[in-house]
Amino acid sequence: MVILEANKLYKSYGNRFTKQDVLRGIDLTIEKGEFVSIMGASGSGKTTLLNVLSSIDRVSRGTVVIENTEMTGRKEKNLAEFRKNHLGFIFQEYNLLDTLTVKENILLPLSIVKIPKREALARFESLAEELGILDIADKYPNEISGGQKQRTSAARAFIHEPSIIFADEPTGALDSKSASDLLNKLSELNEKRSATIAMVTHDPVAASYCSRVIFIQDGRIYTQLNKGDQSRQAFFQDIMKTQGVLGGIQNEY
Amino acid sequence: MSINQLIVRNLKKNIKNYYLYVFALVFSIALYFAFVTLQYDPEMDPATGSLRGEAAVRAASVLLIAIVTIFLLYANQLFMKRRSKEFGLFQLIGMTKGRIFRIVSIENFLLYTCSLAVGIFIGFAVSKLITMTLFRITGVESVAELNFSLQAFWQTLLVFAVIYGVISLINYFYLRKQSILSLFQVQTKTEDKVKKVSWFEIGYGILGIVLISAGYYVSGRMFSGDFASINGLFGTMLFILASVILGTYLFYKGSVRWAGHLLRKKKQGYLNVNEVLSLSSVLFRMKSNAFLLTVITTVSALAIGLLSLSYISYYSAEKSAERGVAADFAFTDEETATSFQENLDERQIGYETNQVDVLIFDVNVSNLITNDFEALTFDPTQMTMPVVSAKDTGAVDVAENEVVFTETNDIIKKLTGMKDSGEVVLEGENFNLPLEMTSMSDLSVINSAFSFGLPTAIVSEKTFSQISDGSDPSLQRPYDQHIGVEITDANQIEEANTIFKSLENDQYPQMSKLADERAQKQNMGLAMFIVGFLGLAFLVTSGCVLYFKQMDEGEDEKPSYEILRKLGFTKGDLLRGIQGKQAFNFGIPLLVGLLHSYFVVQSGWFLFGTELWTPMLIVMVIYTLLYSLFGILSFFYYRKLIHRAL
Ligand SMILES: Nc1ncnc2c1ncn2[C@@H]1O[C@H](COP(=O)(O)OP(=O)(O)OP(=O)(O)O)[C@@H](O)[C@H]1O
Ligand SMILES: [Mg+2]
Repeated sequence: MVILEANKLYKSYGNRFTKQDVLRGIDLTIEKGEFVSIMGASGSGKTTLLNVLSSIDRVSRGTVVIENTEMTGRKEKNLAEFRKNHLGFIFQEYNLLDTLTVKENILLPLSIVKIPKREALARFESLAEELGILDIADKYPNEISGGQKQRTSAARAFIHEPSIIFADEPTGALDSKSASDLLNKLSELNEKRSATIAMVTHDPVAASYCSRVIFIQDGRIYTQLNKGDQSRQAFFQDIMKTQGVLGGIQNEY
Repeated sequence: MSINQLIVRNLKKNIKNYYLYVFALVFSIALYFAFVTLQYDPEMDPATGSLRGEAAVRAASVLLIAIVTIFLLYANQLFMKRRSKEFGLFQLIGMTKGRIFRIVSIENFLLYTCSLAVGIFIGFAVSKLITMTLFRITGVESVAELNFSLQAFWQTLLVFAVIYGVISLINYFYLRKQSILSLFQVQTKTEDKVKKVSWFEIGYGILGIVLISAGYYVSGRMFSGDFASINGLFGTMLFILASVILGTYLFYKGSVRWAGHLLRKKKQGYLNVNEVLSLSSVLFRMKSNAFLLTVITTVSALAIGLLSLSYISYYSAEKSAERGVAADFAFTDEETATSFQENLDERQIGYETNQVDVLIFDVNVSNLITNDFEALTFDPTQMTMPVVSAKDTGAVDVAENEVVFTETNDIIKKLTGMKDSGEVVLEGENFNLPLEMTSMSDLSVINSAFSFGLPTAIVSEKTFSQISDGSDPSLQRPYDQHIGVEITDANQIEEANTIFKSLENDQYPQMSKLADERAQKQNMGLAMFIVGFLGLAFLVTSGCVLYFKQMDEGEDEKPSYEILRKLGFTKGDLLRGIQGKQAFNFGIPLLVGLLHSYFVVQSGWFLFGTELWTPMLIVMVIYTLLYSLFGILSFFYYRKLIHRAL
């Protein structure tokens, strides 16, 4: 079943004179329960794509349909309600609230789904334990490291068990151990709860956890790789190769 | 890019912060200049001429300087904070702190110079407007013609030069203290590092409440005779002021923070969006909040107190004229009254007359008096009061062995604690007549030339005729009747008053309600004016400080709004949270300020007038409305911010 469908997405910034086309006709479908990653050079429009897919930003042209509802052209309030209830975000810049502790930041999305406090706290405990941030639960964002912020941001995206998760370089600031912990967590959510995940990443290792990788160049889809039945290692090699062609760098793998 | 270009760039980017700062400057300068201009205006001489008047004006101008300084210090602090990133950047590219300080000082100097020019111009215009209003309310008929006062100009210049110096000094130390890193972080730092609220803090809170209560308690007893001497009174006032202000600070610092923490802890991290925007945001800045809230509370309390007292005196003027003069015009001499009436007839002014016979008796009212204030000007066992017959007053029903007192003004009632009923004894020359005082009537029966503010006793017709021969002749005045003339058409009172003026009579007191009211208003016109001016200045200042604070916080929290909206919280969600925060930031200082001012007014209002509740409540309501205006303004500001956040 198709959960997300994007048709001919165009997005440009600036006014008539300073116009810059960032997305130039992207067609994309994501099946329910898929784990997709999006790769591409810096500035190629990955964050922009995630933003328009998740209705945080408006497209210039084209349509986005999520669960058979057209998102483009709906009222702002309507979209917000949808984000609040069905989407989870891990932003590139972490986007934590300075005035809240780590724990409060993480529990924030739960305040709108009416679940009992005990259950909420239990969910927090287990998530924080898994992501290794339990001992900084009472600290403020400006008192923790970049990687800790990133894990906090991830925990916030998971806690209300959304049906689609958008993750923008969720492992960018993490060491390989915490990165693989986080990716395993994503995979687990993907498999056990059949959450749909769209993740932007620069890291081929991270991308190799996915079932499909979409490469973006100059605002268009350059190519896609499907994992199919191959092993993660083989998929990883494929990704490396494509990335090499895309970036014009020769890899010695 | 050269450093100069960088500076110009930054100036453009910070333009909004400059607007605010310049507004604060111009406002303060205009306010001060207007006040000083009025102070030196020769036209105000009839009002400020007296020695006491001058002292009052001086004291007021010192208070004004204090408020203006606090306001500018706050504006400067915000301004510096907003630009801290810029300073950090300058240092990062190799500018020395000394150089930055010089740039800031020169820039400030330019801002001050321009603001002085504009502010003085506005202040001049405003002072002219004020003189006109002042003459109107005091009823002085004169055209407000104001000259530009050089003296005022120099004084304003001097005061703001000093403030400039102080602010430069503060900026110097601020810049020296900050490292580059801390400059970059100024806006995201939590001020509330302590996670666990210590017993210490709870102690602070309790101490705060105790201090406030002590201040209230002492203020209630201030005029009850416990602090008899003037020095004692002055000391007491200082004590009250200090203990209430300190108490307020500790209350905010301790109790509010403690309550906030408790609430937050109870939530165990599970906050909803309302609490995120109100509770956590308030606690995040609790240290500066406590200080600022104290300033605002104090300033509000002072403003409400001052405005109430001034309005009490204005309001009472009307009332006491009404009490003092039982009719539009009152005579004690039949001849003058007759010629007044003839004049009225001539001009075809309709009127009604009422003649009342008045006897003076000593009355033992010691049963009614509950206070024994030393300053009582009369002996309660022998209160000399006028007695009239119920028949003459027309409106009151009095049984034979009863008596009704007219209500006296609130001062005497307050000082004596007079009861509403009880037994009194009428002491004639050779008899004592016990009577039952049954009630107080708010009727005004006779000319105050008889009563001097004390109540008048109304007895039944029969009793009156019984005692009329037995009064002590030494107590009687040279006149024994009150002739009231009531003008039928209120529009003609003015005309009648001109006639009244032409009939002067030195021997027999006669009164005109209109003239009396005017005289009273003129008398306290100056005091009212000073106090009213200060009160309004305080109101605007406290409103501005709060509004600035809200703008500053809003600016700091803009990223939060963006995040929350990205996560899917709607504008409505956020605005509801903002309302909670506004309720705290504006509501709490207003409530505490109202409470404080209530006690201030309660303790000394009777020195200013005779009416307490109506004028005080009117002032409180108006103050609340005006003050809420600032709350609404800042709410709109937030709405714009949130709207633009995504
Ligand atoms: N708000 C904006 N206004 C104007 N231009 C923008 C805006 N946001 C992004 N851009 C431009 O759009 C292009 C794509 O930006 P985007 O953030 O999508 O890149 P990205 O692929 O996420 O890069 P990175 O891997 O570095 O995060 C960039 O050239 C950027 O300059
Ligand atoms: Mg990006």
